[in-house]
Amino acid sequence: MIYLQYAANGIILGGLYACIAVGFSLTWGVLNIINILHGAFIVLGCYITYFAHQLFGIHPFVSLPLAGLMVGILGYATQAGIINRVVGQSVLVTLTLTFGLDLIFNNALILGFTANYRQVVLANPLGTVEVAGIFIPLDRALAMVLALLLTFGLYIVLQMSRLGRAIVAVRFDREAASLMGVNVMRTYAITFAIGAFMAGAAGSLLSVVFPIAPITGHLFLSKAFVICVLGGIGSVPGAAIGGIALGLLESFSASIVGPELALTVAFVVLIALLAVRPQGIMGREDMH
Amino acid sequence: MKIKRRTVLKGLSAAALVPAVAARGNAQAGAKVLKFGAPLPLTGPLAPEGVRQRQGFDSWLTKVNETGGIKAGGDTYKVEIVYIDYQSNTPRAVQSAERLINEDKVQFLFAPFGSAAVKAVSAVTEKYGVPMVAPNAASEQVYDQGFKYLFGVYTPNHTLAQPMVKLVRQKRPNLKRLSILARNDLFPLAMAAEIEKAAKEEGLEIVYNEKYAIGTVDFSSPFTEMRSRRPEWIFISGYTNDLILARKQLREQGVTGDLLTMAVGPATAEFQNGVGALGEGVTTFAWWDKATKYKGVDIFGSAEAYADYFEKQYKILPDYSQAGSAACGVIFQLAIEKVGSIDRAKVRDAIAAMDLMTFYGPIKFGPSGQISSLKPPIIQLQDKVMKVVYPPEIAQAELRFGFK
Repeated sequence: MIYLQYAANGIILGGLYACIAVGFSLTWGVLNIINILHGAFIVLGCYITYFAHQLFGIHPFVSLPLAGLMVGILGYATQAGIINRVVGQSVLVTLTLTFGLDLIFNNALILGFTANYRQVVLANPLGTVEVAGIFIPLDRALAMVLALLLTFGLYIVLQMSRLGRAIVAVRFDREAASLMGVNVMRTYAITFAIGAFMAGAAGSLLSVVFPIAPITGHLFLSKAFVICVLGGIGSVPGAAIGGIALGLLESFSASIVGPELALTVAFVVLIALLAVRPQGIMGREDMH
Repeated sequence: MKIKRRTVLKGLSAAALVPAVAARGNAQAGAKVLKFGAPLPLTGPLAPEGVRQRQGFDSWLTKVNETGGIKAGGDTYKVEIVYIDYQSNTPRAVQSAERLINEDKVQFLFAPFGSAAVKAVSAVTEKYGVPMVAPNAASEQVYDQGFKYLFGVYTPNHTLAQPMVKLVRQKRPNLKRLSILARNDLFPLAMAAEIEKAAKEEGLEIVYNEKYAIGTVDFSSPFTEMRSRRPEWIFISGYTNDLILARKQLREQGVTGDLLTMAVGPATAEFQNGVGALGEGVTTFAWWDKATKYKGVDIFGSAEAYADYFEKQYKILPDYSQAGSAACGVIFQLAIEKVGSIDRAKVRDAIAAMDLMTFYGPIKFGPSGQISSLKPPIIQLQDKVMKVVYPPEIAQAELRFGFK
C-alpha cells in the first residue's frame, strides 16, 4: 500500500513538473534557445498570483490566465526586442544572453519582492482525502490536473491551429517555412511568448504548493532541464512523460535511498538514459 | 568622502551584489565613532534569520546611541554597525568578514547566522585577533577549535535536547516511538544527533531517522515513509522556511501523533503566520523568552523592558534570536566599559572573564567561549500564543499532547 502512496505522490508532483518544463522544452526545441530566464518567469507567475490573492482575494486557479498572460507579454517583448537579434546564432550565444537577462531579472525580483519566502495561504483549503489508505492532498491534486490540462491544451494548439502548424514548421525547417510565407521572427516571438505563458501559468499552480522566493527560480529551471532531456526536447508529450517520470523517480528513490539522495538518483538515471537514448523518451533523433 | 562612498556603494549594491550598508542609529557628527561589523544573510534562503539578527543588533544600536553611547575611559563613543549581505552564501560570509576588518576598519565583529557560517568566519577573526560574539550558533563543533576571540550566547545543543526528552518522558511515560528528520546542515544535524542521543538514553525507540537536502521543497516521500513507521513523537530540525513547508505537508500526508517538535523557527512570526492553525501544539526550544523576567545591569535593565523597547521599534515581540543578537551588543558594551578601552585584546579578556546579569540572563562563558550560564526554556504554541512549558520556575502552561 505504501508503494501506491509513493506512486500517487510522484504522479501529483510529476504533473506539476510537466507544466514547469513544457514551455522550456518548446523554446528549446523550436528556437534552439536554452532559456535560462524560464525559472524567473515561473517565479514572476508565482508573485502575480500571490499578490492577486493577498490584495484582491483571487484564488490562484482563477488568476492563472492573468499570470500566464502577463508573463507571456513580457516573454513576447523579451524575444521580439532582445533575443531575436541573436536568434540565428549558436546556442552558446543565446544561452549567454538569457543567462545575463536572468541575472538582471533575478536581482530585480530580489529588489522588488525581497528574498523572503512567501506563501499563498488559502482561506478554504480543500484538505486531504483518504482513499483506501492513500492520502491525496486535494489542492495539490487539482493543481496537477490543471497542469496536465494546460499541457494537453498546448499540444492541441500546436497540432490543430494555423499558428501551431507554423511553429512546428519553423521548428523543422526555418528556411522552408519562410518560403511558405511564415513570418519566422514573429513566430519565434510568439513561441517564446507561449513558453513564457506556460511558465507564468505554472507559477500560479506552484504557488498553491510551494513557498515563493526569487531563489526558487533556479530550482524550477534545473527541474525543467532534467525533464526536457528525459522526455525529449521540443516535445509536449515528452515534457508530460518526463515530468511524471521525474516525479516518480524522486518519490520512490526518496523511500529507497532516503530523501537526501533522491535528486542524486534522478540525475544518475538521467545520465544512464543519455547513454542509451540520448534523444530522450519521446524525442526524435533528427532534432539533435 | 566616506559617506559619499557608502552612498554610491548602496546604490550599486543590487548590480554589484556586495551591499555594505552602515547603520548609525542617531550618531551625532563630531563624536568619536566605534565601528562594529556584521556580515549577515539579508537575502537568500536564510534571509528571515538574517533579518531577525539585524533587528536585534539594531535594537541595541539605537538604545546605546539614545543613552549617550559607550563610555571607555575618558572617551564616549557613538556606535555604528557596518552590515554586509553575504546572500546566505557561507564562502561570501568569510570574504565579507575580511573586508569588514581590512577595508571598513571595524573594531569588533558580530558573527553571521548559523553554526556553519560562524565556524567559517571565526578563522578570520582569530587570525586578526578581532573579538566576535555570535548570537546564532549553538553547536559545540563551532567552539571546540581552541579559538580565543570567539564567543557565543547560545548554550550547547544538549542543553536543549536533554530537558526536552526528559520533559516528554516525565509527562508521558508510555510514549516510545520517535521519528527524526533533519536538514543536512551543521546545526540541524547536530541538534538531531543530540535528540537521538538523549532519546536513546531515556529508552525511546527511533523508528525513523533521515536527512533532507538543503533546498528541498517537497517532503511527501519522507512523510509517507514516516507515517508508515507510526511515530508518536516527531522531531524535525531545519530553518523557518523548511519548517513551514514541512508542517503543511505533514498535514497533507495525514501524519499525526502525540507531539511535534521543530527547531528552529516556530517561535517566529513568519512560521506562525505561514502555517496558521497548523502551528497549534508545536513545541520548540528557545534560549530566551520575555517570560524569563531576568533583571540585569545592562542598558535595557530587564527582559520585559527589552521586549517593550523592541516591540515599539518593530511592532512585533522579540524572540530569542533578536534578544540574543541585542545581547551580543550588550556584552561588548559591558566589557568595553569595564576595561575603559576599545583595545581588542583587553576587551576579549573582559568578555572571557564576564560574570554579570543582563536582560538576556546570566552571562558567563565556558573555557571554549560558549555561554555556560543559561537554562534555555522549552516553549509550545498554545491557543496561538507561545507559552513556556519548561523550566517549571517560569512555566506559563502545561505541555499539551496531540497534533493533526
